[in-house]
Amino acid sequence: MATISFDLVSPENLIFNDDVGTIIVPGKDGDLGVLPGHSQVMSSLRPGRVMVYSEDKNLVKSFFVSGGFAEINPEKCIVLAESVVELNTLDKSSIEKEIEELGSKESKESEEQLSIAKAKLEAITVSFYDKI
Amino acid sequence: MPSLKDIKTQINSVGSTKKITSAMKMVAASKLRRSQEKAEAARPYSSRLEEMLSSLASSAASGEGIIKLLTGTGNDQNYIVVPVSADRGLCGGFNSSINRETFKLVKSLEGNGKKVQLMPVGKKSRDFFNRVMKDQIIESFVDLNVSSTGYESALNISNKLQELYFEGKFDKCILVFNKFKSAISQEVTQQQLIPLDVSNSEKEEEKENSSNAIYDYEPDEETILKDLLPKNVSIQIFKVLLESDAGEQGARMAAMDNATRNAGEMIDSLTLKYNRTRQAFITKELIEIISGAESI
Repeated sequence: MATISFDLVSPENLIFNDDVGTIIVPGKDGDLGVLPGHSQVMSSLRPGRVMVYSEDKNLVKSFFVSGGFAEINPEKCIVLAESVVELNTLDKSSIEKEIEELGSKESKESEEQLSIAKAKLEAITVSFYDKI
Repeated sequence: MPSLKDIKTQINSVGSTKKITSAMKMVAASKLRRSQEKAEAARPYSSRLEEMLSSLASSAASGEGIIKLLTGTGNDQNYIVVPVSADRGLCGGFNSSINRETFKLVKSLEGNGKKVQLMPVGKKSRDFFNRVMKDQIIESFVDLNVSSTGYESALNISNKLQELYFEGKFDKCILVFNKFKSAISQEVTQQQLIPLDVSNSEKEEEKENSSNAIYDYEPDEETILKDLLPKNVSIQIFKVLLESDAGEQGARMAAMDNATRNAGEMIDSLTLKYNRTRQAFITKELIEIISGAESI
């Protein structure tokens, strides 16, 4: 089966760069499953999970991104994300604490952070497939 | 004529200065490498973002809301100038060239009847403009340490700028910074940040016409553009900060290298002087002894 080249880029560095089988990207209006030969799409992202599956459909890596953009063409998928963390490094209790703290503040900025933190919590609590 | 002891102390003090400058040179060299790596690592993101933007820029017809970052306010009366300097000195002409250039720019803009405000980044330019144009400073950012805090520091500046922009406080924003050309040379550069200068990215667009195929946009072009523009401002600032950081280390390395060499030369000439004085002293003593012996 064919592979698609996937780049995950944050402002500070290139985080992931390899040929993979499938990538699931959190598009603004819903998740996008990107397979080799995908049509050309440019999408903005909502805070959520980027799941990377290998050619034989096993989960390779999972990331949480706080938003950004994806540029997809048949051979390549590029995700530009402002902040990227690996999903398994997130800690549930610290996120819950963060949500609590942010919830008490009332400014536009903290609102934004709050929605990101909530998405983070969702990202680690909602189940996902290890194999597709 | 200085005594032998005076010269000796002088040699010692120049010697210790030399030690300091050569140590600073080493430190700057290793920091330079690190900053260069950072700047290198940030490149993929910014170049991708620019590509996206250039392919979207044409679709921005209306000049409302966030799109104003691209199209401008339609005025060019109020300017904001952001000089990016270092927090520390001892790096040759690095900071003073920024300050001089900014000063010139401000004066020429004011000469054309524009209103100019300043938002210095870095202690050296803040201190300078605090002395000469205190009332024009609206905000300053110091102790950024971009190499350790990373993208955060750029975000702060960009948020503040955008806040002021949408309050209608200024129409154009110009960055003045040292562009990193090589380890030993920096070039003072002016870059228009807001509204976005698409002429640069247009050139790039020409370069890679191949990637200019038709895209589907999700949700739609305008929404993406609205997300993209503020990010672009931050990333441009981030790029400039990194570049200026690398430039600072390069300038410091060059300056310290010069200082070390000068100190070496100074020690050489002082040692020569020391030896001559010693020689003259001995000769004088000998003459005194001989003439004393002759007179007996």
